[in-house]
Amino acid sequence: MTIIYVLIPIAVIIVAIAVAVFFWAVKSNQFEDLDRQGYSILFDDDLPPEEKALAEQRKKDLESRSE
Amino acid sequence: MSHCFHCGLPNTEGQKYPVEINGETQYMCCPGCYAVSQAIVDNGLADYYKFRTEPAAKGDEMLDETMVKLAIYDKPEVQEEFVFDVQQHKQIQLTVEGITCAACGWLIEKQMAKVAGVKRIAVNVSTRRALVDFAPGETKLSHILSTFQRIGYRASPFQQDKHEDIFKREQKSFLKKVGLAGIMTMQVMMLMMGLYFDLFGNIETETRQYFYWISLVLTTPVVLYSGSVFYLSAFKAISAKSVNMDVPVTIAIFGTYIAGIKATFLEVGEVYFESICMFIFFLLLSRSLEHRARHKAALYSSNMLQYIPVSASLVEQDNVTTVLAKQLRPGQLVLIKAGETIPVDGRVIEGNSEVNEAMLNGEFEPASKAPGNRVFGGTVNLSGTITVKVTRSLKDAMVNQIVRMQETAMATKPKIAQIADQLSRYFVTAVLIISALTFSYWTWQGNADAFWITISVLVATCPCALGLATPSALTCAMAKLNNSGVILKRADAIEQITHIDTLVLDKTGTLTEGRFSITKQWCKSDIETEVVMNIAASLEMRSEHPIAAAFTTSMPLKVENYTTTIGGGIAGDINGNHYKMGSERFIGQSARDKIEAISAQELDKATVWLSRDDEIIAIFWLSDTLKADIDATLQRIPVAQKVLLSGDTQPNVEDVATSLRLDDCLAKQSPQDKLDYVASSQVAGKHIMMLGDGVNDAPVLAKADISVAVGNATDLAKSSADVVLLNENITALPQLFSLADRAKLTIKQNILWALGYNLLVLPFAVSGVLEPWMAALGMSLSSVIVVMNSTRLLR
Repeated sequence: MTIIYVLIPIAVIIVAIAVAVFFWAVKSNQFEDLDRQGYSILFDDDLPPEEKALAEQRKKDLESRSE
Repeated sequence: MSHCFHCGLPNTEGQKYPVEINGETQYMCCPGCYAVSQAIVDNGLADYYKFRTEPAAKGDEMLDETMVKLAIYDKPEVQEEFVFDVQQHKQIQLTVEGITCAACGWLIEKQMAKVAGVKRIAVNVSTRRALVDFAPGETKLSHILSTFQRIGYRASPFQQDKHEDIFKREQKSFLKKVGLAGIMTMQVMMLMMGLYFDLFGNIETETRQYFYWISLVLTTPVVLYSGSVFYLSAFKAISAKSVNMDVPVTIAIFGTYIAGIKATFLEVGEVYFESICMFIFFLLLSRSLEHRARHKAALYSSNMLQYIPVSASLVEQDNVTTVLAKQLRPGQLVLIKAGETIPVDGRVIEGNSEVNEAMLNGEFEPASKAPGNRVFGGTVNLSGTITVKVTRSLKDAMVNQIVRMQETAMATKPKIAQIADQLSRYFVTAVLIISALTFSYWTWQGNADAFWITISVLVATCPCALGLATPSALTCAMAKLNNSGVILKRADAIEQITHIDTLVLDKTGTLTEGRFSITKQWCKSDIETEVVMNIAASLEMRSEHPIAAAFTTSMPLKVENYTTTIGGGIAGDINGNHYKMGSERFIGQSARDKIEAISAQELDKATVWLSRDDEIIAIFWLSDTLKADIDATLQRIPVAQKVLLSGDTQPNVEDVATSLRLDDCLAKQSPQDKLDYVASSQVAGKHIMMLGDGVNDAPVLAKADISVAVGNATDLAKSSADVVLLNENITALPQLFSLADRAKLTIKQNILWALGYNLLVLPFAVSGVLEPWMAALGMSLSSVIVVMNSTRLLR
């Protein structure tokens, strides 16, 4: 059981980090607008243009197949 | 009929404004929408159209003119009010009109990120605001604002008021404290659970001691940081020579904590670190939920827009210059074009026009202005260009007087004593005395556990459930009302609603639609009604007059030689025929005798006449109609007296009052008259609910015990109201009353239970049967029951 003498302090350190991250998040207004961030994933504006075109093409193919 | 792809409104222009979006050609309804959507596509932001959930706001058709006016925002005098220095950048808070869904936030951020000099932009969709950091050397404020304008949003500088600032800071600190307490409670609970299950004493003393030390380390920030809310509040109460619920809470927390430290150091006795953490976490959670509900409601109406335009066109020796409205002095001349907002109070020197004064008197029918007439700042010039001599500077303008009147009325609003607060004060005093007696008795008896018994008493009788009794019920009632489109800005308003005995109503915009609609029409027998309506609508389409809005068509005809006569009507050629539409005088009375089907009396009341080549072909009767179901709704409101106060004329007001079976009505009421009426009724002991919508209602809304602003109300009215209806209809009002009654009943049940439980558990605690952990568990269970009872309101 001596392992807990190591594991628990590590757990405490991780908790401390978690709390620090949480405080930083609150401070930098991450909890201000909870309605919007859920949509961010939908915009694939981080893709380069050629990949975006490819995604469009695949979507169209899918649509035409289902018809 | 097709709809505009950008704003979703009916498209009457067909294929005149095509834009290629995501590989398909879409059609827009006007140059404004066209410009906006073209700008969006050109910037590679067409994804916006894919993910938006609501149509956009209509584009500005006079984009170029609006852009020129934005230049005024680059003047340092204007900026000093709104722009702040943040490190080496400048920061400005903007309210953004036109945000309809989450995709708008994305669109704005993407677009603004491309503007050189914009260092950071954060758009908050729920409050419709944007925070922009920019480098003044690289870009101008006017450029930032015009970028907003180009993609279809109207941004204006905005200053959040002090209340909101404080609210926001408190909200953040609550979030941090609750989060910390929650995370730590989990950890401590985990360690303590291990010890709880040590039934056979297998855990070595060393390990147990080790767990205690770790728990102490984890509990300390919760006690010192998260719990500080309670100690501060307790300290404030004590320094004001009073007690509140936080006093026994503070004693219990510190008592248990210090005893725990002692036990850990001396290695004898019990520790209850997990109880402390749980206790703080639950108390804090309920406090922060209450705070959050209040904050949300306050945010809803604080986007107070400017009623007065920032700039004005000053006329000096035939030169027209743009100046700040606040710099205008009495005696100066100002030029106001059609469609512009009048910047200050003044007197017309030159020109004729019609002015919409709805924001001052609530009446939507425009007032015609000729040289010599007075005009007021904030009202909108509808038809002609006028030159106005300034009579009062901005600070003394009518609209600012109304705002001041509202502020003073707000300060003198009747307040209710909060029952639960008073009750808890007596209760807390009793708890403190009983604990002290218990401690002295058991010490005198020589019981070694005297301290722990006292802690049990404090925890068991913690008025946590009592404290939750009112806020939890009110929060649930607020949530329920939110779902049915009623926003409560003050939770305690619910308690007051049950006392209301008089309902005071405003007429235009509140009971009536606030716009013209056709009540009756007559057409010449040889023409079809649809044809006439189409002609009428095509003529009226270009008019700004409120009457025009009553006529709609899906297939407008082409109008040539279009002319407008102020105070008269409009004329134009359609398919080679000359049409005139407007007042009887404008059309010419000649044809009157030929219409025999209608009595002369009826004809006197007719509003709009339509003639073709000097022959009358149609007559329309228009009036402001009552909102749907208003009569049935009013009958269902359980108040003793209903009074109508309006700025309109006596006959109109009486008409509405009789048709709605109201008890009393007063016509020609100025904002001050309304305020006086409500104040004198309040002195006579009446509890008043006021229902209104206009700027002119704002002071009286602020004064009434409970005030309700309807959905179409002005921002000023909304900001002084306690209750805001999201809908234009008042159908939710009876529900407000019934829910208020139910909420009051729930509060009573909760208080009864909380007190009952505490009294029941007290003998066990005092006699020492109850251990501190049982007390903490019982306290939590009691709170849970109270919250569960409150949630019944949600159903």
